[in-house]
Amino acid sequence: MIKIENLHKSYKMGSNSLHVLKGINFSVEEGELVAIMGSSGSGKSTLLNILGMLDGLDEGSYTLDGVPIKDLNETKAANYRNKFLGFVFQSFNLINYKNAMENVALPLYYQKVGRKERQEKALKYLEQVGLKEWATHLPSELSGGQKQRVAIARAMAAEPKVLLADEPTGALDSTTSYEVMDLIQKINDLGNTILVVTHEPDIANMCKRIVHLKDGVIVEDKKVKQVRASEYV
Amino acid sequence: MFDRDIWQEIFHSIKNNKLRTFLTGFSVGWGIFILVMLLASVNGMQNGFHSQFNDDATNSIFIRPGTTSKAYAGFEKDRRIQLKNDDVEYIKKSFPKDYEHISARMFKGTSARYKSETGSYSLQAVHPDHQIIEKTIVTKGRYINTNDLVSSSKVAVIGRKVAEDLFKDEDPVGKFVEFNDLPFRVVGIFTDEGDDNAERGIYAPVSTYQKIYGNTDNIDQIALTYNANYDLTKALEFSTRLENILKRRHKIAPEDQSGIRIWNYAQAFEDISSFTGVLSWIGIVVGILILIAGIVGIGNIMVFIIKERTKEIGIRKALGAVPGQIIKLVLLESVFITALSGFIGLLFATGILALVGPTMQSPAFTNPSVSFSTVLTATIILVVAGVLAGLIPAMKAANIKPIVALRDDK
Repeated sequence: MIKIENLHKSYKMGSNSLHVLKGINFSVEEGELVAIMGSSGSGKSTLLNILGMLDGLDEGSYTLDGVPIKDLNETKAANYRNKFLGFVFQSFNLINYKNAMENVALPLYYQKVGRKERQEKALKYLEQVGLKEWATHLPSELSGGQKQRVAIARAMAAEPKVLLADEPTGALDSTTSYEVMDLIQKINDLGNTILVVTHEPDIANMCKRIVHLKDGVIVEDKKVKQVRASEYV
Repeated sequence: MFDRDIWQEIFHSIKNNKLRTFLTGFSVGWGIFILVMLLASVNGMQNGFHSQFNDDATNSIFIRPGTTSKAYAGFEKDRRIQLKNDDVEYIKKSFPKDYEHISARMFKGTSARYKSETGSYSLQAVHPDHQIIEKTIVTKGRYINTNDLVSSSKVAVIGRKVAEDLFKDEDPVGKFVEFNDLPFRVVGIFTDEGDDNAERGIYAPVSTYQKIYGNTDNIDQIALTYNANYDLTKALEFSTRLENILKRRHKIAPEDQSGIRIWNYAQAFEDISSFTGVLSWIGIVVGILILIAGIVGIGNIMVFIIKERTKEIGIRKALGAVPGQIIKLVLLESVFITALSGFIGLLFATGILALVGPTMQSPAFTNPSVSFSTVLTATIILVVAGVLAGLIPAMKAANIKPIVALRDDK
C-alpha cells in the first residue's frame, strides 16, 4: 500500500539546514495498523506529513497504492489527499462553526458527492463512532473524546486507502484515549490501513507493528502482539 | 457560481461569523452612504443655483435704452434714446422666427389705497406676454390679457404681499383699488418664485399707463424671449443682430456701448453653468477619494479575514479542497457581503434623501438627489475593487501549505 525508499527531508532554519529525515526505507501492507514512535524531534511527524502529502519530500520516492507521488502541485496533492487519505489530528481540527454532521460531510463535498448522499454517509459514519445523536451539535458542545471521534468519522467518510493519525490521543486523558484507540482498532479490523504517530508506548502497543524513529532514521521495526483497547475500557 | 452547496457554505460562514460580516459590510455600506450624500449635496447646491436663475425664463433678453456716448449721423452725443411701441412692432416684424414672446415694460412707482389701508409699490405696465417672460404665477384670477390692452382697461394684477397688505382677509379679485387716486379693478393675484420683493409688485396693461401719462407711446424697456431651441451660440448671435438693427434704427454709432443695452440671459446662465460644472468636478474628485478609502478599508478587512481563516483553510485543504475552491469560497463570500451591504448603504442614503431632500428649500440648496446610475457604478467599482483587494490574500491563503496552516495556533 505504502512504499517509501531512501526518503530525505531537511528544513531551512535561517542560515542552517536541519536534516530531519535521513534516508527512510519503509513499506506498509494493506490492512496494517502501524505505530510510528519516537521522541520529539525524531522526525515522526515530518514523516507523517510527507506520507499525508501535507509536506513535500527532498529526495527519495514515495508510492501510494501503486501511484508514484511526485511532482505535486497544490491541486494534484489536494486531489490525492481527497482520494487516498484520511487525517486525524492531535488538536482535532474540526471547523468550529459547522456541526458534527457537516464536519463529517466536508470531505465528501470535495469529492463532489451529492447533498443527500453526503448527509446519509455522514450520519452512517457518525453512527459508527457512536455519535449519531450528536449530529447537530457544534464542536464546542462536544467533549475532547467526542471531538476526536467526529474527526475519525470525518477521516473515514471519504473512504480513504490509508488513515493517518497524528498523536490522536495526545490531547485526551487515558480513559478517553483507550476509547479512541478501541475505535481505531475496530476500523482496522474492517480492513483499513492505519498509521498512528505517537510517543506513548501503551498506545503503540495497541497497534500491530511499531516503527521506531530516532534522529531521522528507523532504528527498530517490529511486529507486536496487539493489546486490545477494549480490555481497558 | 450558482452551485447550491457553495452558497450554503457561504451563508453558513456568514451566519456564524457575524462580527466579521458586520465589519466588512459596514465599511462598504458606510462608503457608499457617504458617497451618495456627497454627490447629492453637490447636486443640491447646483439645483439651488439653477433655481435662483430660473425665476425668469432662461431664454430671455432685456433691451434697455441709455444715452449715447458718441456723436453719430448728425446727432450730438449725450442724446437720450427713447423706445416706443413701434420698436416692439418693429422687432416682431424683423425677427418673426427668433422671438417667442415680447413685452414692453414701463416702471412706475405708485401709491395704492384700499379703504383705509395704503402703501406704495412699484408698478410695471406690460403686455400679456410678460407673464411668460417673467414666469409670473397667477394664483387667483387672471393675468393682463389682450382685451385689457386694446381697451386700455384700468385693471391690475397684484402681488401676494400687496394683497395681504391692502386687503387683509378680504378677497381682492373684483375689488377696486386706487393707484395714485385712480380706481383700478383687481383681476388677479400672483406669486413669484424669485423673492418677496417681486410679490410687492403690481402689473397693469401698458396701454392704460400710456394713456394716463399723457397719451404717449413711450416705453421704458423691452423684454423678450428667444426661440427656446436656440443654443448659446445662436442666442448670442440673435442678440447681436437685435443690437445692430436697433442701433441703426435709433441712429446710434455701432461701437457705442451705452446708447442701447441688450442683456442676454444665456450669457449669465453660461457663467453659472461653468461654476456648477467646477462644483460637480470637485464632487467627483472627492467621491473618488472616498472610494479609494473604501477600497483600502475593504482590502484591510479581507487580509484580516483570510488571516483568521488560515487554519480553516488548512483543514479544508487536508480534506481535499483544491486551491481554486478555496479562492472561490472566500471571494464569493466577500462579493456577496460587499454587494449586499453596498446596496443597504445605497438604500439608506436614498431613503434619507427622500425624507429630508424635499424639506431643504433654502436658496443655495434645493432638492438634493443623485442619479441612480452614478451610485450603481460606484457600488460596482467598490465591490470589484474590494474583491481584487481580497484576491491577493485569498490566493496566498489557498497556496499556503496545509501543514503550515494547520500549525497556525488559534
